[in-house]
Amino acid sequence: MYVYDQFDHALVRERNAEFSDQVARRLSGELSEDQFKPLRLMNGLYLQLHAYMLRIAIPYGVLSSVQMRKFAHIARTYDRDFGHFTTRQNLQFNWIKLADTPKILEELAEVEMHAMQTSGNCIRNTTTDQFSGAAKDELDDPRPWAELIRQWSTIHPEFTFLPRKFKIAITGATKDRAAIRVHDIGLHLTPKGFEVYVGGGMGRTPHLGHLIKSGVPGEKLLSYLEACLRVYNRYGRRDNIYKARIKILVSALGPDEYARQVEEEWNTLDQAAIDAPYYEIDRIRSFFPDPAFADKAFDQAALDRAKAADPAFARWVRNNTHPHKRDDHVSVTISTKPVGLPPGDASSAQMDVMADVADSFAYSELRVAHDQNIILPHVAKADLYDLYQQLDRVNLSTANAKKISDIIACPGLDYCTLANARSIPLSQEISKRFADADLTDEIGELEIKISGCINACGHHHVGHIGILGVDKQGIEFYQILLGGRADEKAALGVITGKGLPAEAVPAAIERVVRLYLQLRTSPAERFIDVVERLGRETFAEALHEPA
Amino acid sequence: MSQLNSSATPTLIAKDGTRILDGWALLNDEDVVGADGPYVLGFERALTELPGLNGKYGVRVNPGDDIRLLTPYMEKIALVEVNFPGYRDGRGYSNARILRSDLNYQGEIRAVGDVLRDQLFLMLRCGFNEFVLKDADPEGAIKAATDRFENAYQTAADARQPIWALRQKLTEA
Ligand code: SF4
Repeated sequence: MYVYDQFDHALVRERNAEFSDQVARRLSGELSEDQFKPLRLMNGLYLQLHAYMLRIAIPYGVLSSVQMRKFAHIARTYDRDFGHFTTRQNLQFNWIKLADTPKILEELAEVEMHAMQTSGNCIRNTTTDQFSGAAKDELDDPRPWAELIRQWSTIHPEFTFLPRKFKIAITGATKDRAAIRVHDIGLHLTPKGFEVYVGGGMGRTPHLGHLIKSGVPGEKLLSYLEACLRVYNRYGRRDNIYKARIKILVSALGPDEYARQVEEEWNTLDQAAIDAPYYEIDRIRSFFPDPAFADKAFDQAALDRAKAADPAFARWVRNNTHPHKRDDHVSVTISTKPVGLPPGDASSAQMDVMADVADSFAYSELRVAHDQNIILPHVAKADLYDLYQQLDRVNLSTANAKKISDIIACPGLDYCTLANARSIPLSQEISKRFADADLTDEIGELEIKISGCINACGHHHVGHIGILGVDKQGIEFYQILLGGRADEKAALGVITGKGLPAEAVPAAIERVVRLYLQLRTSPAERFIDVVERLGRETFAEALHEPA
Repeated sequence: MSQLNSSATPTLIAKDGTRILDGWALLNDEDVVGADGPYVLGFERALTELPGLNGKYGVRVNPGDDIRLLTPYMEKIALVEVNFPGYRDGRGYSNARILRSDLNYQGEIRAVGDVLRDQLFLMLRCGFNEFVLKDADPEGAIKAATDRFENAYQTAADARQPIWALRQKLTEA
């Protein structure tokens, strides 16, 4: 993974010095909370219902065992022993004392991490495919490009006060696991250069991104992005926070006109001054070699015996491993979503174990996936059973990757001041309803995503089943959306049926799922496939209690 | 955000930290434009009247104004006042960069309005060279902004070379 040089280190140090000074001025009373707010927001520090929350950037979701261990230490020392992995491939600490933040940032800087640009109307952490550099279907590795964008976008002087936050995602595989069509800019890395999608997003008015240009060569990517951002910065709406994302600009202008303006702007730019040369791109790329793959003798028969003796392990291998470009390796998903517990949470002890197993079995590398799970990208098949047993001891062996209990849920009413309804308790209720592992397996791939309000932090628009918390005369109510997906066939879910009170939701979902099981032509036909084949309305009735 | 260290009287200060006297006068709509005087015209008025004027003038630009409409008059402009009605409105940064990098404008670019010490670093990088500051310690604010970061990752309108160029030099050395 990328290693800081003197320049990267110096910049983080300088930024931390600035922020420490601001915190000191706040604590001494020189700054009021009002004056301090925009400053702390530039550094990922939010004031939540009960305490400060610090959001730490995990660039494109890639982290080392050393960094994971540092998170464990911070959770133990400065938080209530927990951290929360987010859908932005970041980590949040929810119980932070303001006075501790300079110290925490200092500790993070020691392991080449920071909290810059994890909030505010700036370019946020670029996200990517959690299996980058490992997946069998990958055409090219997006991580060097994500790092290039990270550097270019860090403290970008022109784009720190955009109309609204700005999120970029990159994929380099045939399957889109980075959800590029629901990002402000989505980049698809192909052998012929980048395809650039602009204007996707969720929130109140969801849009799928439009392809505005193909074949942007890598060595011109930064200047092209600069042109995209400049047109947005100048013409994006600033009069209404709900209409300020780039998706609104692109749909008002029309994608063709937006593309034309970008092209015009691009031609005015001094591209040679903006674009990092090949030299720099190669330098960055050199940090992302394959690990020194261990040639461990892999004994298929031994694995089969272990699976036969331990059905839970067999299930975990079936559900939580992903094909690797090498036949003797796999990528492993560590589920942060055991039945009945909040999605994305990990204790310091669990973080330590993840760091340890990464050292023992995964070349010291981990990823945070945008479904909040942790990935070990490269694991020799020969090590799977040992790995599984170590994870199992700390409740990290839930075999539900991409299954119905692998739910994305936003913080919701338990933490968020904007929420209409709770998300996490509902996700817990649903996962309990489907606690039967055999049933979960029978249902197969099914993504549920829950947001506590229309801001859609839980990505409900792109859940196969999306759940949206609404407020109905002071009562928490939920609307159900069907048919959303964020992959290469991206589509937005549509509200189906009438809203339901919380206690009715798990049963309604169960009825929908049972109907799906009846309707599918074979187990290979997934829920989302059936919704597409038969239409959402087929399921509308099942959402409601039979009269 | 209200002004940190705020003081009542604004100071006009240059990017090198020296205070300057403002010789320019912003004209009201009903005022007559004198010849080659130190007059700052509103944007609309500049577009209508600059074609018939000779000499050097100032122009005040608001966030929504299309700075490129001034392209034909670059020779007649010695000061552009870029107004920040609120510090959150970042359009002024693009205006300054377009002036410097695209229109090759060499005159003064002055930040006016809601200009805060925590933004000065960004403004300096985008090509601003004068600031109207309400800060109680304007010299200190400029110094802090200048010293805050030694280097930057991107090319902008200041003299800094991007970090990728510095890296290249290091390996060549
Ligand atoms: S979706 Fe709404 S409730 Fe959930 S975290 Fe976002 S703003 Fe808060």
